[in-house]
Amino acid sequence: MTPTVSASGLSLRYGGTRALDDVSLRLSPGVTGLLGPNGAGKTTLLRVLATSVPADSGAFTVLGHDPGTPAGRQEARRRLGYLPQTPGFHPDFTAFEFVDYVAILKEMTDRAVRHREVRAVLDGVDLSDVRGKRVKKLSGGMRQRVALAAALIGDPGFLVLDEPTVGLDPEQRMRFRELIAQAGEGRTVLLSTHQTEDVAMLCHRVLVMAGGRILFDGTPAELTARAAGRVWSSTERDPGAKAGWRTGTGSFRNVGSPPAGAELLEPTLEDGYLLTLDDAEVPA
Amino acid sequence: MTWHVDAEDLRAYSQGELAPPAFWSADTHLVACARCRAALAEVSESVDAGWVRLDAELDAPRPGLVERLLVRFGVADHTARLLSATSVLRRSWLGAVVAVLLMSVVAARSTGSVTLFLVLAPLLPLAGVALSYGPALDPTYEMAVVAPVHGFRLLMIRTVAVLTACFGLSVLASFALPGYGLRALAWLLPALALASAGLALSARLGPLLAPSLVGGAWVTLLWAVHAYDAHATLMPFTVAGQATAAGVAALAAGLLFLVRDRFDHFQGSAV
Ligand SMILES: Nc1ncnc2c1ncn2[C@@H]1O[C@H](COP(=O)(O)OP(=O)(O)OP(=O)(O)O)[C@@H](O)[C@H]1O
Ligand SMILES: [Mg+2]
Repeated sequence: MTPTVSASGLSLRYGGTRALDDVSLRLSPGVTGLLGPNGAGKTTLLRVLATSVPADSGAFTVLGHDPGTPAGRQEARRRLGYLPQTPGFHPDFTAFEFVDYVAILKEMTDRAVRHREVRAVLDGVDLSDVRGKRVKKLSGGMRQRVALAAALIGDPGFLVLDEPTVGLDPEQRMRFRELIAQAGEGRTVLLSTHQTEDVAMLCHRVLVMAGGRILFDGTPAELTARAAGRVWSSTERDPGAKAGWRTGTGSFRNVGSPPAGAELLEPTLEDGYLLTLDDAEVPA
Repeated sequence: MTWHVDAEDLRAYSQGELAPPAFWSADTHLVACARCRAALAEVSESVDAGWVRLDAELDAPRPGLVERLLVRFGVADHTARLLSATSVLRRSWLGAVVAVLLMSVVAARSTGSVTLFLVLAPLLPLAGVALSYGPALDPTYEMAVVAPVHGFRLLMIRTVAVLTACFGLSVLASFALPGYGLRALAWLLPALALASAGLALSARLGPLLAPSLVGGAWVTLLWAVHAYDAHATLMPFTVAGQATAAGVAALAAGLLFLVRDRFDHFQGSAV
């Protein structure tokens, strides 16, 4: 199967910062998670793949189109949905008007068809009841769903979501994850996040990024397996551990190189992520 | 079958409004008559369609004043919605423009000099165009940049709208200064020059720095000319100055067209 997105050698510098450093990847249908600490380059990578910012070097295709050329860029944009890290809204627009506005930007000029689509995507994110409400009067979770609806309008084949679950309470986050899982059926979704929980629940594949480079590319199970035999528990903080934190039971959970005879624990995705960053000498 | 339920009754039946005994006869008849059942299905569908239409009307809430006016003046409804997202077409911005113009007209009438008006009027469209676009000022900028609609096209739609609004109001203000004749319109060419220069430079310098520089240059130029000879007509408002302004406007418009593809990508710093 040809991948939805195929990129090779993407690099981008901001002054002295290497925001992207020789990134190559392939994305296929389903939800792929992009994990990384602050400043890892997640947003930069998503912006490049969403055709917002051109890379300094390297090339990529989206659904077979080359965004490096004006014609290819326009074609790619026709098949793209993008939820930026901090989506903005025109404060006077209602939820319906806002999504309608984005639909117009996506070249939907037939009013009847467009309005039907706008209603459908708003229904899809459970916002039919507040269609006529002004965006500024909606809760944060609802606003985030309006932005998701706007990204979904026009049935994009490639959906780019930049930290969509940030700032949501646990209940809203669960609801939002369900929506992302639905959106990922039959389409390619790239989702950046700080939360390993998002990845564990949604993703068939995960990329770990830091310092502009991809440190890991594989399944969540493979990332978890990286911590096999490297997680142990102790009653006091173990000074030899790469990282340690107190768990609910009061004992310490440590990752790194366990001392002889340590009580080993079943690794989690979080452990695998921490150790991957640590192996690359990146502070989490 | 010797009889069929008539259309009126079918419609009433489908909406649950047909009363007995007509209801009973329709009910028993429908069980036995395929033709009437088909007719009923048709009526119910058109009723449904009616609901869908009504639903659509309720959903698409009454558009704002600007949007309705635009549609009235023959602008396509989708273009009107794009324009209504232009923050400077909102009441607050238009109010500020009116205030500046009123103030300068009052000043012109009381001091007998049209200069302040001529200096300020060209800055309004420059500021308006700058304020309607860019990551800092258009909240949906990031989404708009990656939309298939060309960035340059979007920019031009908004620019034309802003210029129309500003020019309309400024022309009205000029009418309030009848004593100066055509001279009260001497802001027009400099306004075009500033707005187009601001846009052309923003392709390289970004949507905040470029218009600030252009506006600053305009004020500095006028101040320098005034310092040189406080009594003469300010240079941009002489015939030669007007010709220069026209030249600058044409040149900047040409340059803007050449760099139009730059508006297809995110401009200015992120975060
Ligand atoms: N427009 C910009 N100008 C200058 N530097 C930038 C710009 N955008 C990003 N950077 C820098 O590039 C690096 C990567 O930033 P990026 O926003 O991609 O990180 P991120 O992984 O999305 O971080 P976060 O988790 O905080 O959102 C950072 O060092 C950042 O300071
Ligand atoms: Mg980010």
